[in-house]
Amino acid sequence: MSDPIRGQTAICGLGITEMGKVYGHDASWFAGESIRLAVEDAGLDKDDIDGLLVNPGITGMMGTGISIPLQGYLGLRNLRLLNHMNSFGATASAMVQYAAMAVHHGMANYVACIFSDAPLQQGGSAGAAYGGAGRRGPSGMASLMPAFGFYGANTSYALAARRYMERYGITNNDLGRVSVTQRRYAVDNPHATMRQPLTLEDYHNSRWIVEPFHLLDCCLVSNGAVCTIVTTAERARDLKSSPAYLWGMGQGHPGNFPHAEVEVGTTSGATIAGETAYKMAGVGPEDVDICEFYDCYTYTVLRTIEDYGLAKPGEAIGLYPEDPADPEAELPTINTGGGQLSSYYMWGMTPISEGVIQARGSGGDRQIEKNDVVLCSGNGGTLDTHGTLILSPNAN
Amino acid sequence: MAYDKPLPNPDENTQPFFDGLKDHKLLLQYFPSADHYQYPYSDRCYKDWSTDWEWRESAGNGEVYTWVRMHQLYHPSWKAEIPYTLAVVQLDEGPRMQTNLVNVPVEDIHVGLRVKVVFEDVTDEYTLPKFEPA
Repeated sequence: MSDPIRGQTAICGLGITEMGKVYGHDASWFAGESIRLAVEDAGLDKDDIDGLLVNPGITGMMGTGISIPLQGYLGLRNLRLLNHMNSFGATASAMVQYAAMAVHHGMANYVACIFSDAPLQQGGSAGAAYGGAGRRGPSGMASLMPAFGFYGANTSYALAARRYMERYGITNNDLGRVSVTQRRYAVDNPHATMRQPLTLEDYHNSRWIVEPFHLLDCCLVSNGAVCTIVTTAERARDLKSSPAYLWGMGQGHPGNFPHAEVEVGTTSGATIAGETAYKMAGVGPEDVDICEFYDCYTYTVLRTIEDYGLAKPGEAIGLYPEDPADPEAELPTINTGGGQLSSYYMWGMTPISEGVIQARGSGGDRQIEKNDVVLCSGNGGTLDTHGTLILSPNAN
Repeated sequence: MAYDKPLPNPDENTQPFFDGLKDHKLLLQYFPSADHYQYPYSDRCYKDWSTDWEWRESAGNGEVYTWVRMHQLYHPSWKAEIPYTLAVVQLDEGPRMQTNLVNVPVEDIHVGLRVKVVFEDVTDEYTLPKFEPA
């Protein structure tokens, strides 16, 4: 039995700014561009926007991210809903979820959900933005991290990946198959930053970051913003662009408990979030046509596939061709825009934005023909937080 | 050459832990009401929310939960070590801790490898708890 809210709300507007090494603007500016594009895409007027949910990326932790003052910057004077949200990479899903519930119950009509970030500076490295080495040193036991040489999210995920790889006999070549597959999709995505085709050899030749991760196992760091506008299905039907109807929503947050009682890093919140979302949507893993998964690392994709029940534990790699660079190879319909690895890193908005594009059928050369059920994931911390959206071009 | 890597920076709550390291003792917080060892430091047990606890010395035995080789340079002082091994060790008392593995060739490292703590006096003031094969 699906839930009565299934198909009653939709994403009616999508704004994707220029992405990547776009310099000279702060996160507010990108946010402004994204909402302007989304309002135009939906065929709305600025004054129609009566809800604003914001999620800063890493600039939120650096003190230069978007927050509540964005309302003033954008001159939104009709707000009936406003919040700055954070469950890390799961936030974008959560924003859309709370927006959907709000519009469904009449608390607002058109809620703009914005992720914006601008960590890249001209002449600075991408790693510098996330490595944390430049920040003031931690105190207490946290100070042991730099003392042992632990830096950045790359390390935490590489640790999780290693445990998974040793348990299931997954190799670097397997991770490379994910990376190369996604790049093939990015080649056809005009929003993508990395559009040069890749081979497995390129993957193996890319430098080590934290072994078992090569550079090409790790997501990009991007400047840019994505805005999605959420409204009721009834309103969405009459707007300019095709709606992506919301069929299912869910969250699951296992957290991070460094203790023998809890397996960490090798399970995600997708199991719980997925179950909730599948139930609401009245679908199961066998009905999923397209997956847009949070892919901070190649490993995250394999983990997520399995936690949504799309493959048995350790068997997600079986969905990928031996050599995805082979033009004859049939690619899994997963991360069809290139994902965070190859298109752009807008935290949880990367999978949602491509999910909306696929549900609308506007993916151009990379459009997947059967798009009735599009499963999107958000993931934060080291697999600590998780959000799920199930989108469809059909209201019912 | 003087030790130039980042040093621990104890605060009031964790000073006894760092003092313990200097005495070559690995101290863990023990919360009696939940019979629970906890690491890293917290003023509350996450199992039953008790705030009643004591320091207890760990036997220092455990196994490799997972491990990686760090190739990226984030702080100049690591330049000569790269690539170096980072690990998470599962202590027999329950908690897991981030650490370095020492005295072991890379090809011998694997998940499940039994290890024991070894204390490295990096300066006169600070000692780091690292692990080597048991």
